[in-house]
Amino acid sequence: MKRYAYYLSCINESMTKEVDRSIALWQKDLGIELVHLHESTCCGGSNLDYVSPKHFALVNARNIAHAEKMGLDLVVSCNTCLMTIRSAKKKLDASPELRAEVNEILKKEGLEYRGTSEVRHLLWVLIDDVGLEAIKSKVKVPLSKFRIAPFYGCHILRPSTVLGKDNPLDPSSLDQLIEALGGKTIPYRHKNRCCGFHTLLVAEEESLSVAAEALGEAIEEKADFIVTPCPLCHTVLDGYQSKALKQAQIHSSIPVFHLSEMVGLALGYSPKELGIKRHIVS
Amino acid sequence: MTVSSEQHIEGKRDVTFRVFRLNPQVDSKPYFDDYTIPVERGITVLRALNYIKENIDASVSYRVFCQAGICGSCGMRINGISKLACTTQVWDELPKCREAGIIKIEPLRNLPLLKDLIVDMDPLVGKMKHYRNWVESSMPEPEMGKKEFLVSEEEFSRYDKATDCILCASCVSECSILRANKEYVSPAVLLKSYRMNVDTRDSLHDVRLAELVQDHGVWDCTHCYRCQETCVKNIPIMEAIHGIREDAIECRGLKDTAGAKHAEAFMSDIEKKGKLVEATLPFRTNGVAWTVKNLLPMAVKMILKRRTPPPPPLVKSSKGMKQFREEFREMTEHVKDDHKTHNK
Repeated sequence: MKRYAYYLSCINESMTKEVDRSIALWQKDLGIELVHLHESTCCGGSNLDYVSPKHFALVNARNIAHAEKMGLDLVVSCNTCLMTIRSAKKKLDASPELRAEVNEILKKEGLEYRGTSEVRHLLWVLIDDVGLEAIKSKVKVPLSKFRIAPFYGCHILRPSTVLGKDNPLDPSSLDQLIEALGGKTIPYRHKNRCCGFHTLLVAEEESLSVAAEALGEAIEEKADFIVTPCPLCHTVLDGYQSKALKQAQIHSSIPVFHLSEMVGLALGYSPKELGIKRHIVS
Repeated sequence: MTVSSEQHIEGKRDVTFRVFRLNPQVDSKPYFDDYTIPVERGITVLRALNYIKENIDASVSYRVFCQAGICGSCGMRINGISKLACTTQVWDELPKCREAGIIKIEPLRNLPLLKDLIVDMDPLVGKMKHYRNWVESSMPEPEMGKKEFLVSEEEFSRYDKATDCILCASCVSECSILRANKEYVSPAVLLKSYRMNVDTRDSLHDVRLAELVQDHGVWDCTHCYRCQETCVKNIPIMEAIHGIREDAIECRGLKDTAGAKHAEAFMSDIEKKGKLVEATLPFRTNGVAWTVKNLLPMAVKMILKRRTPPPPPLVKSSKGMKQFREEFREMTEHVKDDHKTHNK
């Protein structure tokens, strides 16, 4: 059983609780154990870095230092948390002065940021550590009857100087996972585009227009569902779907699954157990 | 010997360029023309287009000037990605073709089309003017011409990268928000505004910043990083955008925008709970009236699915919050000290 420190994303603790619940169902089936890091705090959600760069460094040095204390890599299941924490790590690793400054403060909690733990997305762990062949061997209900649109989201791809796992112009990791689970991916031009989440409260019309494009293509290509490794993308594509499609005058709908739910379905868990009924679009 | 002869065989082949065509004066809708030409390894897409224009079809239109990645004229979409034709090798594009051996060439997006691969740059120039993206000297007029305006190396390092921009508009073409609304300021303009705002010789900082925080300005960027990823000069454009935002939050009087309030909510929630209090985020960003009008129908659906974020008292604080809060506040003192030193 390979262990990881699991970062608790704000959105998975509130609106998209089904993500952590579904992972808890199947993690042991795939030989991994995600130890919940209850000490972790909000990463700053791609905002704290400019509101206060120093607090941004402190908060995320602390998040990573807790994982380092356990001697484990930090695993994340939200794209923006992934990008944000990795950005902080990159800054900390590049600056001995910044490291010294945050460590002076963290010392009082018995913590030290050393840079020894990697910060990784759950999708990357599934592909690189569990392995596609091992996943294939555990599939109980192959997704062979589904045509699936893989929506990667921005912050698992860009900036590639911080992420670096997939080619941001032509990502393939999620496609590979879908195929390992027996599903068929559709050619999906919007796979590496944006969902519009980060401007939902500031420029709603623009955000919904961005979301509608991604939804529209998946509908047009007759996908059975969209799958995303990011709960923020899910919130837009599922929660705001009817509003986005109405604005774009598209009279249809499409279910959107979390990565963790899709894995759970193939491993034999029911939609009810996985929390799929909590989605707005069924 | 084997290696070099293989390279020779691989070094020349026929390649098809599928070129977007539209002459609005004649054509009712756009179409593609295929031109298949022999291409040697080492040839750029621009040279291939020049060959087509000189030998096959003189009517194919595109902008070109320096042919060396300096002037930014030949921005176009090659196999779907905005870039410079003059610095793009045909050989590098071959593995990226959707149809084997066919390289697709299209005009930049998000700017009006004039003909074939030529887009109208006027809207971009207009925005540069609107945000006054030039240095208006802070030197008193009587001193001009008599005194040098020295810029230290440290000062220059703040906008060194931003000066690499050649206005090719690749970032403009790839921008997610501009695609949704052509009024949006656009990444190239934000980059230039940042570059001017951190220039110590400039006197327009406050005026420019006040305009940047208005509608369709800096807060409308959705952090998709497509601009930065496609920048032909590898400029960290998002750092410039974040730089403007940081500046706007620090400047009194510019915080009264939805974008600034939204961003600051993260800071205060982390200090209080260690977690984001999502339930009240729309209210804090846009006020009660906006939230009720825009989010009520969705809130009802969410309540039915038990998807609503918990009200503030029920948001569970992170473990060890008391200690964390002390650390957070200690850093606040560091930041205050930094500002004092900076302002001296």
